[in-house]
Amino acid sequence: MEQLSLLFEGFGAALTPMNLLWVFIGAILGTAVGVLPGLGSAMAVALLLPITFTLDPTAAFIMFAGVYFGGLFGDSTAGILLNTPGNSSAIASTFEGHRMAKDGRAAKALATAAVGAFIGGLIATTLVVFFAPTLVKMATAFGPAEYFALAVFAFLAISSVVSESVIKGVAALGIGLVLAMVGVDGPSGTVRYTLGLPQLFDGISIVVITVGLLALGEVLHIAGRIHRDPSATKIEPNGRARLDRRDFRRALPAWLRGTAFGVPFGIIPAGGSEVPTFLAYGTEKKLAKRRGDAEFGTVGSIKGVAAPEAAGNATAGTAMGALLALGLPTSATAAIMLAAFQQYGMQPGPLLFERSGDLVWTLLASLFIGLVVLVILNMQFAVLWAKMLYIPRHYLYAGITVLSMLGVYAISSATLDLWVVLAVGLLGFIMRRYQFPLAPVLIAVVLGPLAETELRRALTVSEGDPSILVSSPVTVILYSVLVLALAVSAMQHLRHRREKAAGVAGGDGSGPQGGEGIGPDAGPAGPSEGAVTEERESSRV
Amino acid sequence: MQIKPSSLSDETYAPRTGGGTAEGAASASGTPEGTPQGPTPARTPGARPRRSFWSGRSELIMPVLVAGLATWLAYETATMTVLGTSVPGPQFFPTIVCVLLYAVAVVHAVQVLRTPRLPDPTDDAENADVSSDLLGDLAHASEKGRRRIAGQNPDAKLPKDWKTYTDWKTVGLVVGGIALFILVLPVLGWVFSAAGLFWIVCKALGSTRPGFDVVVSLVFAAVIQLAFNAGLGLNLPSGFLEGLL
Repeated sequence: MEQLSLLFEGFGAALTPMNLLWVFIGAILGTAVGVLPGLGSAMAVALLLPITFTLDPTAAFIMFAGVYFGGLFGDSTAGILLNTPGNSSAIASTFEGHRMAKDGRAAKALATAAVGAFIGGLIATTLVVFFAPTLVKMATAFGPAEYFALAVFAFLAISSVVSESVIKGVAALGIGLVLAMVGVDGPSGTVRYTLGLPQLFDGISIVVITVGLLALGEVLHIAGRIHRDPSATKIEPNGRARLDRRDFRRALPAWLRGTAFGVPFGIIPAGGSEVPTFLAYGTEKKLAKRRGDAEFGTVGSIKGVAAPEAAGNATAGTAMGALLALGLPTSATAAIMLAAFQQYGMQPGPLLFERSGDLVWTLLASLFIGLVVLVILNMQFAVLWAKMLYIPRHYLYAGITVLSMLGVYAISSATLDLWVVLAVGLLGFIMRRYQFPLAPVLIAVVLGPLAETELRRALTVSEGDPSILVSSPVTVILYSVLVLALAVSAMQHLRHRREKAAGVAGGDGSGPQGGEGIGPDAGPAGPSEGAVTEERESSRV
Repeated sequence: MQIKPSSLSDETYAPRTGGGTAEGAASASGTPEGTPQGPTPARTPGARPRRSFWSGRSELIMPVLVAGLATWLAYETATMTVLGTSVPGPQFFPTIVCVLLYAVAVVHAVQVLRTPRLPDPTDDAENADVSSDLLGDLAHASEKGRRRIAGQNPDAKLPKDWKTYTDWKTVGLVVGGIALFILVLPVLGWVFSAAGLFWIVCKALGSTRPGFDVVVSLVFAAVIQLAFNAGLGLNLPSGFLEGLL
């Protein structure tokens, strides 16, 4: 059990007053961006990145890890109280959570979410401690072909398998790859796509791209809608967030089941915690039906909040493991953290454990400390966090705009970076406007250079023979799983398209895209409407 | 989310009072005599919003942008001064990306031309990263649950004059504010430029207390400057106040 002694050394290094302060700051910032709808931990880490250049890397990463976990602690608050989840990772826990809030059990729902996030994170981080060395051993056997296969897997899983539209996902991926290619090409020294600007020789900083896409893009998106959309009504939580023993006993199995769903998804680059949280929610729903649980879907079941929350943080825990041991980012936030490592001149993966072992184990130890800090912050002060939802939106977004400018300017005090971030912000805005996914852009920007370098290296070794890309068992397995996932996802897309088409042709008023439920007085469709709808359908196909 | 409700015009969202869908549906298919049937909806037939070829097809700007990007990439790749002799060289990967971009641009354009997508009042487009169909299946969601997952709010109570198109004026104000900030930063220094940006964004997003906002902006910008110069040792430009601060 060499890991345990290393971990204890890590605790020794992490339990200094300064490092505890960074854990604490990270936890507070993370919870804050989690609570506020539309902001996420990926954006928060990107904004912090340039500001933390002057810190030592250990302190910076301790803070980032606090932000990552904190975001997943805070995201359910707005969902439960406002029915507008702070992040997509909290949609699944919003269903039952908001029902509980409407039933007067908001405080209980918040507490269930916080404890669930704690348990999920705790179990996943413990597993990382024990299995990280195994992952590292696996990764040392990886050559260029294997790394290229991993990158392709991440690209296609995030842009095609899980995203809303395959076309838009791949387009977003391509845009990201182009952004990543700007600058001097490492292997050959060729200057590429810099528009003749020497400031771009080092490429476009990932901070500029992330802040532009996620922060400015969001501000512009809000600007385009703020005078249009009605605002949500909030439910006041009453009392302190607490769970009695009976609730605890009811939620415990759901927490554990949720964790079991979350753990494997941290290692698979499937875009983060959406898929496992929904898997966990769906399972609880099925189990509730079997048990005849009347609370589920009506007044809100504690289990429907517990499972997805645990799944979300379990994903974050193992995602940290995959990032540190393999150098593989499985979510947008992990991608930014990988970029952060690169800014400090470190490359996550087997070498990181070898060269910066003390940093890794201090970071892992501080994950545990962070979880404890977070569960206290979120249990004791849940009501206080909810008050953040009262910050007027114009102050909030004005603040984010100024902080974005600050973060970008802090990279190298260059005005050009500010213009680039504005351009990327407009790109993010227009991509949101037409429902393009943003995660593929970030993954492409981070993994693009790796994919290109490893592909060229592999082909140089084989003297141009592409069969080297599928010459080892690892690559064959990765590509097979990928093809299988693509096939399943394609079948699913086709099935839903057929169902929707059938709904329209029938003109029965309950079609998924009909929008009939929106109007206040959606009556049954008349025969003439059905006829016209069919005509419209045929004119399109 | 392939086809959007046809009862919604580009200009405003008017709640239906009866069989008014026929109007929107007929106009979507280009039928000239698309008069409403049954009780008259919120607007009269004469005031029916203009519906051109571009209605629901503004998304074409995306494939055009992507194709433009691909063309620029192709030009730059072809005219690149290649250093080194390694094979494959620095043009290899960009060529793959270029082909990929052209392919998605064409398929996307065809998609938009075939199925124009009208704006949907209940769709806030937050979650394009993950397929809502996939999540709906995982959650065994009901119809309403599926719409909720897709970022729509089935229970939303919408104002009568609900507009679906983007509020370009507000977006323009924010973009203009940022551009102005970048231009005046070297002259005015951080505190005044950042405070001005903060104030403009507040105003654009609907703050009703401009006087109070001036104080908030200045305090916010000044605190950042102090924290940075003192705490982290990063230098923010002090502009014409150079030497005073």
